[in-house]
Amino acid sequence: MNILIIDNNDSFTRNLEHLLATTVSGADVVVEPYAHLASLDLAQFELIVISPGPGSPAEYPGYERVFTSGKPVLGICLGMQIMNEYRGGGTGRLPGCMHGKTDRIMFDGAVHTVARYHSLCVTKVGDRLEILSENSDTVPMCLGNREDRLLGYQFHPESFLTPDGGAFIDYALDYLGLR
Amino acid sequence: MTTLSTISVSVNRDRFDAFAGQLARTMEADLVLSSKGYPAETTSVIGVRPVAELVVTEETTTDRIKDFCFSTPGLAMGFVSYTYGMKLRGISSNKPLDFPLGHLKKYGATVEYDKDNEQAILSSEDQPLLDELSELLKTSPDELPETEVPGLPTSPPSTSLGRAEYEAGVRETLERILSGYTYQLNLSTKFTWDCPDLDPLALFLALRKSHPAPFYSWLNSGPNKVLSTSPERFLRVADGHVLSQPIKGTLRFDQYSPELVSRLTDSPKEDAELSMIVDLIRNDISANCEYGSVRVENHKSVFAVDNLLQMYGDVHGELREDRDCLDLFFDAFPGGSITGCPKKSSMTIIEELEPHSRGIYCGSVVVIRDEKNMDSSIAIRTAVYGTETKKLDYWAGSGIVVDSKPASEYQETLAKAEKFLTLGER
Repeated sequence: MNILIIDNNDSFTRNLEHLLATTVSGADVVVEPYAHLASLDLAQFELIVISPGPGSPAEYPGYERVFTSGKPVLGICLGMQIMNEYRGGGTGRLPGCMHGKTDRIMFDGAVHTVARYHSLCVTKVGDRLEILSENSDTVPMCLGNREDRLLGYQFHPESFLTPDGGAFIDYALDYLGLR
Repeated sequence: MTTLSTISVSVNRDRFDAFAGQLARTMEADLVLSSKGYPAETTSVIGVRPVAELVVTEETTTDRIKDFCFSTPGLAMGFVSYTYGMKLRGISSNKPLDFPLGHLKKYGATVEYDKDNEQAILSSEDQPLLDELSELLKTSPDELPETEVPGLPTSPPSTSLGRAEYEAGVRETLERILSGYTYQLNLSTKFTWDCPDLDPLALFLALRKSHPAPFYSWLNSGPNKVLSTSPERFLRVADGHVLSQPIKGTLRFDQYSPELVSRLTDSPKEDAELSMIVDLIRNDISANCEYGSVRVENHKSVFAVDNLLQMYGDVHGELREDRDCLDLFFDAFPGGSITGCPKKSSMTIIEELEPHSRGIYCGSVVVIRDEKNMDSSIAIRTAVYGTETKKLDYWAGSGIVVDSKPASEYQETLAKAEKFLTLGER
């Protein structure tokens, strides 16, 4: 499977690359910087991943072409917030800003420990996006639309603090109709 | 065609250090001196009579540095400054560059300490030089002498960020964290003493004796003398096996007791600081490591150095077949523990909030053996003495996370500067 990660100047992108490469059999993972977004040939990829990164979605224009490409999209952290704002949702400061800490969330019928790194969070969910998981403070932790093949994680499956990171990649492949 | 000759001589570590001090005094030797029992323990190396030197400037490419290190045999030793890392990561600066971006040397002879066999290994292609060194070793003292350090500063240092400014910097950093531009940021201040009569080598050797740490380095670079007393490893590559040991989490103590360790490891703030940087280091080595090889071990281990408890973790990986140790080093440089996370955004904010240039501080001291073997420190707890300016510069910093308190972070920087701030009291 040809997978493209668009790197929003983050320092966790290579962790995501390694997680995808070791979880998805036959994966060929390419990492491209956000600066190349406008000129990327998206047609050759079967999955497009939008990385975490500093700042807010408004500072990363140009993702329309990814969402209108017809390709399945997985957004992580900032990537999920970008997806949410594309659908008309909102982003704001997270009360109790959280970096490098774990949370336990209900996801897909089971409790999972996940790593959280975020100052901002989804404050208004975008059109036709479903909250698939939220934490005990009702902060959205996973948003998606199965039909449109969009999925976002607010937490970080690629962190070493997330013990079963691969499970979230497997879930994404199923949800996005990639197997 | 000359060939490399080696001589092995039985010596203990104290005598090796004394010999190193002697060669630094009489032959302008460069030194990396380690101590046993620390996570970042490395091989002690003395380099004498440089045969090739590379002073790194803004124009120097990483390919040029690789060529310098790998195109001829023999180890290369020296430093790479934080400012070279700014160039690599695309961070621009208007601050005057008053210090080389790096300086590497190859030597006419090296002496290394084989700790397993308690031997000094003297190596050179130059037989007369080898004979001269082995004669000197026969007469070297058993240990570094206890001596007064001439010319220690008698007045307090000037600082680039005093208490009020540093605490304001912490508050500004917290605001940037709340806005999501950084998740953790290392903010430093610079101390400068005027000390026209200082004997910097005597100071280095006195500190070496009184405050042991695993990555002491004494490097001669033009008019500058580097006195590094680092406890932290950046990257080691041993036959392609990669190890990084980021330190995050500091607790100052007067009297050590075991329960202090759990005070550090149980702190959610210190835990988050280290965890974040471990994830960052995983990322930074992953670009050049085999898929599936990167793993974390000994997370939240603790060791003591000076009067500080330091928490660290081991990040391992296997270097990709088609990459060398300098590909890894330059992609991961400067070390994440002294930038913050995400790296580029944090470095941009550091450049804005710190009035000083970091120079060698937060760069690395490196010993590069070949394409698959190197070791390097994070150049913290590091001073520079300018023999022309007659100034002694030292820097100290602290990792700021959302739970940080400005006053405590300032105290932490002072604790890290303590062995230099108390110099006048020696």
